[in-house]
Amino acid sequence: MDEQELVRQIQEGDEMAFVEIVRIYKDRIVNFLCKLTGDYQKAVDLSQETFMRVYFKAHQYKPVAPFSSWIYTIASNLAKTEMKKMRKFSFVSLDDVQNTLPIEAYAKNPSESGMISNLKKALNSLHPRYKIPVILKDIEGFSQEEIAQILKRPLGTIKARINRGRNYLKKELEKTSYKENSFVKKEECQNG
Amino acid sequence: MDELNLLKKLERVKAPPDFEQKLLAQVSLRKRKKLRVKYFRLSLVGAFSAALVFFIVMNVFILPKKSPVEFADFEKGFSSAFQRGKGLRKRETIPIIEAVDYTGEIRTLSREPQTIYLLEQVFEGTSTEIKY
Repeated sequence: MDEQELVRQIQEGDEMAFVEIVRIYKDRIVNFLCKLTGDYQKAVDLSQETFMRVYFKAHQYKPVAPFSSWIYTIASNLAKTEMKKMRKFSFVSLDDVQNTLPIEAYAKNPSESGMISNLKKALNSLHPRYKIPVILKDIEGFSQEEIAQILKRPLGTIKARINRGRNYLKKELEKTSYKENSFVKKEECQNG
Repeated sequence: MDELNLLKKLERVKAPPDFEQKLLAQVSLRKRKKLRVKYFRLSLVGAFSAALVFFIVMNVFILPKKSPVEFADFEKGFSSAFQRGKGLRKRETIPIIEAVDYTGEIRTLSREPQTIYLLEQVFEGTSTEIKY
């Protein structure tokens, strides 16, 4: 069934249509929020809140934009609020923070390279202003126009933020790989 | 850019298996809560409008029937007019005549005992009356 039709049914109070929407979007929203917050449990909680809002505020949805944009707007707004709260109470450097994701949260991949874990760290240290557009573009696969619609910002702003976010990630990765290389070289020198 | 390819390679997490059940439970819980809040608001509005109606009824149909004097007398319990079953006319004028001794006010008082002083009202306006 068409998403618009499902939303129309939710507006009429149909719970089955709501369950169908949840089935379609739950994994995508949980993944998006997990990448944003870096905490699986928090991502699940925020996803639940996102879907609750979809159910109770369905009458506010206008079919001028795709439903996916609307649901991602809700999710990113919730995530932004949550991240603000987290920043308010957290004074620990992001580099010192251990990854709190449970192992089962990820698809098991024993061959996860150091590069990927560095990328995760860099992504976690990225400011939400840049992190959200980068995730939406490079992980969720939205177009820049769609991201502008989701975040309610001009297209130029979104382009600039994506670019800055990517550059930051690149620099961070280069920095960490340089550190690792110098550490390896030092060890080799010590071993003779 | 290599890091972008890596971003795409980042593993995707999935929602827990009981996600929908928990969500539906929360939805029904919030529905009930919303309903409770709605009833509470309705009862508040009802109570307020009942109080308003009572206040209006008291003011329009009960209290204005008695004039303030009558009402005050009624409260004191000695309103003869009310006891007779007749209310005083609205805005009834009660003239107050005060006996004033002006002998102390006249400085050049004559010693002749039979001198008559005619006191005239200097103020040209009509005598004020207290209206109740």
